[in-house]
Amino acid sequence: MKKIKLEVFGPEPACIRCTAVKNISDRLAKRLKKEGFEIEVVKLNIMGKETIEKYGILVSPALAINDVVKFMGRIPSEDEVEREIRKA
Amino acid sequence: MNFKKIRAIILLIFIITVFYLLIDSRIQAYSLAPTLTQADLSVYSWYEIPIYYIWDYASHGWICLLFAFVVAGLFYEFIPKDFIARRMGSKKFSGYLIGLVMAPFFTVCSCTMVPIFGSIIYAGGGIGPAITFLLMAPAANILSVIVTGEMIGWDIAVIRIIVSAITAIVAGVFISKTSWGKSIEKRFMIKNSKSKGSVQLAKTDLDERLWSSMKFSGFLAKKIIPYFIAGLIAVSYVEAYLPQELVSTYMTGITGILLASVIGGPLYTPTLVEIALGRTLLALGMSKAALLSWLMGQPYDIPNMVAVSRIVKWKVVINYALIALAFSILFGILYGILIGVL
Repeated sequence: MKKIKLEVFGPEPACIRCTAVKNISDRLAKRLKKEGFEIEVVKLNIMGKETIEKYGILVSPALAINDVVKFMGRIPSEDEVEREIRKA
Repeated sequence: MNFKKIRAIILLIFIITVFYLLIDSRIQAYSLAPTLTQADLSVYSWYEIPIYYIWDYASHGWICLLFAFVVAGLFYEFIPKDFIARRMGSKKFSGYLIGLVMAPFFTVCSCTMVPIFGSIIYAGGGIGPAITFLLMAPAANILSVIVTGEMIGWDIAVIRIIVSAITAIVAGVFISKTSWGKSIEKRFMIKNSKSKGSVQLAKTDLDERLWSSMKFSGFLAKKIIPYFIAGLIAVSYVEAYLPQELVSTYMTGITGILLASVIGGPLYTPTLVEIALGRTLLALGMSKAALLSWLMGQPYDIPNMVAVSRIVKWKVVINYALIALAFSILFGILYGILIGVL
């Protein structure tokens, strides 16, 4: 079982593009479960205190895999995210 | 050849074609702006006017709009966002510069703009650069610059960028020097001590980046075009029915500048519609000086101010709006004196 944490960052309430990234993450979490990945997806406020303390300024939508921001300001394709999850 | 290479080549061919079409329109010197005048429109009945007007816009302007959306998508995809985001939190003067130079590329989508404004303050970048970013953003976003340049004229497009930059810096510096501006900075300051996350963006292949940029262009178009068309319907009636004497009496001289800057702001026009309306008013006799004041009104429209007031106090919002208003009047007058027609 490989544990992966996906953090999706966007404004509150979430904008369309952030929701798209969240949906991609949720789909991957479901699909990769069969292969033994345990993926936790959380949506965080891009302007939240914790977010800025941890990562500084981000451009929405952003996606972090295991505490490393891998994508920001764009909606990655499902393939791209999957590739990064396997590398993590 | 695999799928990825083919996709990259197809996308590149598409982008080059769009660029070629715009350059070709320059070489052949045909107008990308609509050509119908009030006299032409007045022969149609009320329900035909919007149809002919929008057809006029679409048949002439499609290259310009396509180019603007494609370029906006490319810029947004290819600017090094991580590099800029890191620099944006700087409190020094470079924070202002980054806010200024980058605002046009970041802000084609308002759901990105206000969070970045908030983040700059929260990350300790100071309220000054944040305000500069906020004011520069709508005034000089890549989409409206291209459309203003092609539809109205590149002289006014360039001047609009320059005066917006001056206004944005002055408002930013001014508010950062006030005691209430400083108190906001203090309240939001975050100690960066327990930082444990990092930013290392994934490497993405060219075809994926191009595709993603096209998708962003499409997203913008889907968001903006419906409002643009609705706006054009309204503008078509202005063009057809607003008496020219009214425009040339009230929208010229100092009165014109004052009126344009006061109406231009609070009147909420969706992106690009202010350009179409400005173009129509110009055709009906508004002075170029008043047009500049009109176009400078964007940063202080009401919905924008409400969104920002959720992050900082109304006092800040009112102050930057007043500075922007004062400068739109001032630069309108200066521009009028410069070109010799007030």
